[in-house]
Amino acid sequence: MPPAASVGPWMRIRGLTKSFAGELALDHADLDIEQGKVHGLVGANGAGKSTLIRCLAGVTVADEGSVTIAGEDLQKGSPRASEKAGLAFIHQELNLIPHFNALQNMLLGAPKVTRFGIIDWQRSGVAARAAAERVGIRFPLETKVSELSVAQRWLVMISKALVGEASMIAMDEPTASLSGPESEQLFAIIRDLSAQGVAILYVSHRLEEVLQLCDRITVLRDGRIVDGAERGALNKKGLVRAIIGHDIRPPDARARFASDRNQQPTFSVRDIAWKSAVKGVSFDLYKGEVLALGGLVGAGRTELAHLVAGASRPNAGHFELDGKRLDIANEAEAVRAGIALVPEERRSQGVMLQQSVGFNINISTLKKLRAIPGLPFVSDRKARRQANSLIAQLGIKTPSVDARIGGLSGGNQQKALIARWLNAGTRLLILDEPSRGVDVGAREEIHDAIRALARSGVGILVISSDVEELTLLADRVLVMREGRVTGELTGADITEARIIELSYHDPNDEEGDIA
Amino acid sequence: MMAQAGTAAKDAPQLRKSSWKRTALIWLSRYGTIVGLLLMVIFFSANAPGIFLSRANFLNILSQASLTAIIASGLTYTLVVGEFDLSIGYVASFVGLIVTGLMAYQGFPIWLSIVCALLLGAAIGALNGVLVTKVRINAVISTLGIGTMLTGIGFTYSSFPIATGIPRAFTDISLGRLVFGLPNPVIIMVVVLIALWIILNKTDIGQKMQAVGGNLEAARLSGIRVDRIKIFAFATAGFCAALTGTLLSSLLGSGTLAAADGYLLDAFAAVFLGSATLKEGEFHITGTLVGVLILAVGFNGLSIFGAPTHFQPIFKGGILVLAVGMSALARRYAASV
Repeated sequence: MPPAASVGPWMRIRGLTKSFAGELALDHADLDIEQGKVHGLVGANGAGKSTLIRCLAGVTVADEGSVTIAGEDLQKGSPRASEKAGLAFIHQELNLIPHFNALQNMLLGAPKVTRFGIIDWQRSGVAARAAAERVGIRFPLETKVSELSVAQRWLVMISKALVGEASMIAMDEPTASLSGPESEQLFAIIRDLSAQGVAILYVSHRLEEVLQLCDRITVLRDGRIVDGAERGALNKKGLVRAIIGHDIRPPDARARFASDRNQQPTFSVRDIAWKSAVKGVSFDLYKGEVLALGGLVGAGRTELAHLVAGASRPNAGHFELDGKRLDIANEAEAVRAGIALVPEERRSQGVMLQQSVGFNINISTLKKLRAIPGLPFVSDRKARRQANSLIAQLGIKTPSVDARIGGLSGGNQQKALIARWLNAGTRLLILDEPSRGVDVGAREEIHDAIRALARSGVGILVISSDVEELTLLADRVLVMREGRVTGELTGADITEARIIELSYHDPNDEEGDIA
Repeated sequence: MMAQAGTAAKDAPQLRKSSWKRTALIWLSRYGTIVGLLLMVIFFSANAPGIFLSRANFLNILSQASLTAIIASGLTYTLVVGEFDLSIGYVASFVGLIVTGLMAYQGFPIWLSIVCALLLGAAIGALNGVLVTKVRINAVISTLGIGTMLTGIGFTYSSFPIATGIPRAFTDISLGRLVFGLPNPVIIMVVVLIALWIILNKTDIGQKMQAVGGNLEAARLSGIRVDRIKIFAFATAGFCAALTGTLLSSLLGSGTLAAADGYLLDAFAAVFLGSATLKEGEFHITGTLVGVLILAVGFNGLSIFGAPTHFQPIFKGGILVLAVGMSALARRYAASV
């Protein structure tokens, strides 16, 4: 191949396509990346950003398309080839070994100077120390990573990339757990690296940052690249529109349940705060309504759900159920108080895969299934009867109550998890991502079941990152952003566009308005 | 996608052909240990009909198996809840020493000594459970630590075997045949195993134990007090170990330091053999009994054929690795074809 490096961009991505289970995650994406520039990559959850990065990293193999770097084709699906081509990736969960020191981490996988097989850290560390200097590390490199702050760990990761002579560094949500000043410090380093000729691929939900930092911004939506512009050609309003897309669906015609706000709320959240994830959240949930929490991943919704369900204790604030103040120390107490959680991770936190459908449905109501009240023996007959009636009520498709739950589809497993709480005297049911990994038909049935529960008087709090699901299911939506509730939507206002808008922008903030 | 669809279509006829193989493998992974046990019985019966195949020898096998079965069933409980107990052998030895000491030194009546001994075992087990759940020490470390301490405490209590001052009635417990002419330890084993089986399968605490072992996080979110459940399982293991230790002292007619330490490995071998029985890698009482019988029949057969005693550990280790390994391989292979 002739040396084409001098003409055209340094990295050319052409027609990159990847589908998972028939679903296009990345659809003929074309992208050019130049050295010495900061490229922003934005898009909603599931727009294809991660897939694109994973393809570049060689962790995912693209179905179609090519990546050329300085005129040379990048071998597909080989993390090693990607690394040799000078690509470095820094993910949110920094891949550092906590009990190694910074220097050891920087040199992980790098060749080291040895004498008779013993590593000479002094001489091996020369390149690492130079890299540390470049990014302005001031702490001793002999510090254990477990003793470093998140910001300092980022510096270690960037130095590690530089030790590996990276020509491009991709960063995924770098500021998610950094404070304001720490973020500013990171931006300065990014600008510095960029001036030295390193290409930066910057992925973030924080649009202000992207607009401020990036030379070029690329917008992904539904796996397609829908917009790209140089700095200055885009503003936040345009960016949000590009992320949502123009084909905004009309509001659902179905009449949304309008709750009576004068009655006593079923459940109240008062000034709840927890670590840096939840920053003073208050709201009321009324009888009959499906209340949903929208927002981006990392907005603090799952953390809030776990606080309500007793998995962790809030640092400040309290909850009230049916007007009574709650003091919950753990999940078991929450369940006894009538609060149940259908968790986000169905397989690891929800079902007991080895056990039967009946076992999974009945596990939280064993006391009611005793053969003789007062004696701890479970009546097989009562257990079957309850499981069978719940299976019929929710339309769970299973060969029998004795079938292993692991053999059921995701949608039916989810229904069984909801069934678990129907006879348990539940007053508040929290459903975290109730239709994740569930097909459209089952999703509809799950939604019907949730709605029926709400109308029967059980408080329902749904958490979903699927904006479409929120518009279909919720009677009222609270949007969270960075640990706070940034807006409330009711009735015809519950649209995908409004939810996404609020997810990205806090109307209470002074700067800029995008509405 | 296209490529995937293509291979799937090609695989289809093969899939049908191999489905009987799949069924056979699953069957083997579930019933392999039982088949193995039956084959052993048939082999020994055919080759040593007069000696092996006799009522006396079968009773002998059963009485040997009974002490292991009791301690192994307790261990099964801790494994059901996803934990581990390495102290059971030491608990059995320690309690076996204490129970004789209570009679010989403290002059306690037999019944009171036994009650104290069993409660002591349950308390040690509960302590293990508290260390694991509340203090959050890894079960391997905490139970090994407690077990090692018990060895030392036992030595402090009595540095030589307690053989004198033990009432004859105490030794008669394990030598007597009160019901159907069966040795008492066998009757006790049957009672204990039935009780443990009922608790595990028919009561809410048993269901909760299975839930905790099946998916700890899910159990917690279902409102189960997982710590209490685990402590109960440890206490049961301690109780069963104490019962085995007490019966052993009765059988030996003395309380001897470290007498029951060896039951630890036998119990683990039996429980893991049992996990490869009937169910797929789960721990359960019926399986544990099958595991104990495999070991007991094997040891018995070896000694009938005059194999030197050091063949026993070879047999024990070999059959354990073989049975569990075969079962795991068969399951994996069944999942892949």
